[in-house]
Amino acid sequence: MATRERVSLEHAFILHHREYRDTSRILDVFTARHGRLTLFARGARGPKSKLASLLMPFRPLFLSWTGRGDAAQLSGAEPDGEALPLAHKHLMSAFYLNELIISLTTRHDPQAQLFDDYARALRRLCVEPQPEPALRVFEKRLLECIGYGLELEVAPELHYQFQPSQGLYPVREDVPGAYAGRTLLALREESLDDAQALDVARRLLRQALDHCLEGRELRTRDVARSMLRRGNA
Amino acid sequence: MQHAAPLARLIDALRALPGVGPKTAQRMAFHLLQGGRGGARTLADALISGLDSISRCKRCRMLTDSELCSICSSNSRDASLLCVVESPADVVAVEQSGSFRGRYFVLHGHLSPLDGIGPEQIGAREFEALLDSGEVREVILATNPTVEGEATAHFLGERTAQRNIQASRIAHGIPIGGELEYVDGGTLAHALAGRVAQR
Repeated sequence: MATRERVSLEHAFILHHREYRDTSRILDVFTARHGRLTLFARGARGPKSKLASLLMPFRPLFLSWTGRGDAAQLSGAEPDGEALPLAHKHLMSAFYLNELIISLTTRHDPQAQLFDDYARALRRLCVEPQPEPALRVFEKRLLECIGYGLELEVAPELHYQFQPSQGLYPVREDVPGAYAGRTLLALREESLDDAQALDVARRLLRQALDHCLEGRELRTRDVARSMLRRGNA
Repeated sequence: MQHAAPLARLIDALRALPGVGPKTAQRMAFHLLQGGRGGARTLADALISGLDSISRCKRCRMLTDSELCSICSSNSRDASLLCVVESPADVVAVEQSGSFRGRYFVLHGHLSPLDGIGPEQIGAREFEALLDSGEVREVILATNPTVEGEATAHFLGERTAQRNIQASRIAHGIPIGGELEYVDGGTLAHALAGRVAQR
């Protein structure tokens, strides 16, 4: 007989949620010790719900649930400290982090390190004026956690190109789009404060992530693009 | 037991309603076909005529049976005030409060990047065209106080500010008749941050 699992007050974030029936929601949550899983939150919508204000993305939470597999039921939620003061202009960046986790991690696979990296990235988005450095560091850490970490053992004076199958390999400096070793080391040290290093990190990580996504498009990227188009219209 | 084909079709069709599963749909179907036959015909006629005649208002996207809804075509409404809401039900809610004399814009949703719902799906183009028509002086962003609602308000607020039109966000606070003790921390924090001078 299958045992009914009870998990109590686990560190968690809600990655995505959708409405279910009149008063319930289905939550895609990311937890420190149980990885990513789906929870049914009965009665989590509507005028009488006490949890509605708590069960939101980007809010550090303690979640409790019963049952295993993909039919687990949320049995409780409490705040894990204060809500993060995420500026509204950085919400798209935060949604992007959520989609990366949903797209590139498997369910029920504990990812304690990635959980910490995610929390750290969100906290950086709260305080830093530019979201890019935090996003790039998270992308790099995510690749490491899912076994596709970049080998960034390079010489600062050389130039490189990247192939997902063979990693970084040295090329002549005048090869179009070559990455300068110095900028790759900046990514290894996760100190992306100059514009060139940041641009190299963006292009390289994009290549590596696209390989892992196997042709799937990220919806947040699409939406961000069309928001930008409207902004410039 | 196998239902007769038209009955099975009716049960299946009733499941299009929100919150209606197979069991409820069957109960509804039996009710309509047994005791409530008169009501069932009225319902069928109303559904057909509703579908045929109701569409979105050309200006505000509210549901209406003419080109412009009753609010947009009324000349007692203040065209310089535009209240942006997520759904037609929100228009009804604000109207019932009796405190707003401007016009509306209905998004029929909110930005939801993870579901691929972007500016096009919430009518950003129509919204901007409305702003560009020059009548609007202030946009009141009344999307829900959820993460997605805030993202939507931020996006539309920027489009508004870009045109030198004032954008404001509805306040979040303590429900009237409520007790502080039972109000959640997030709402309380907003209420404190958005406090107003005692008059």
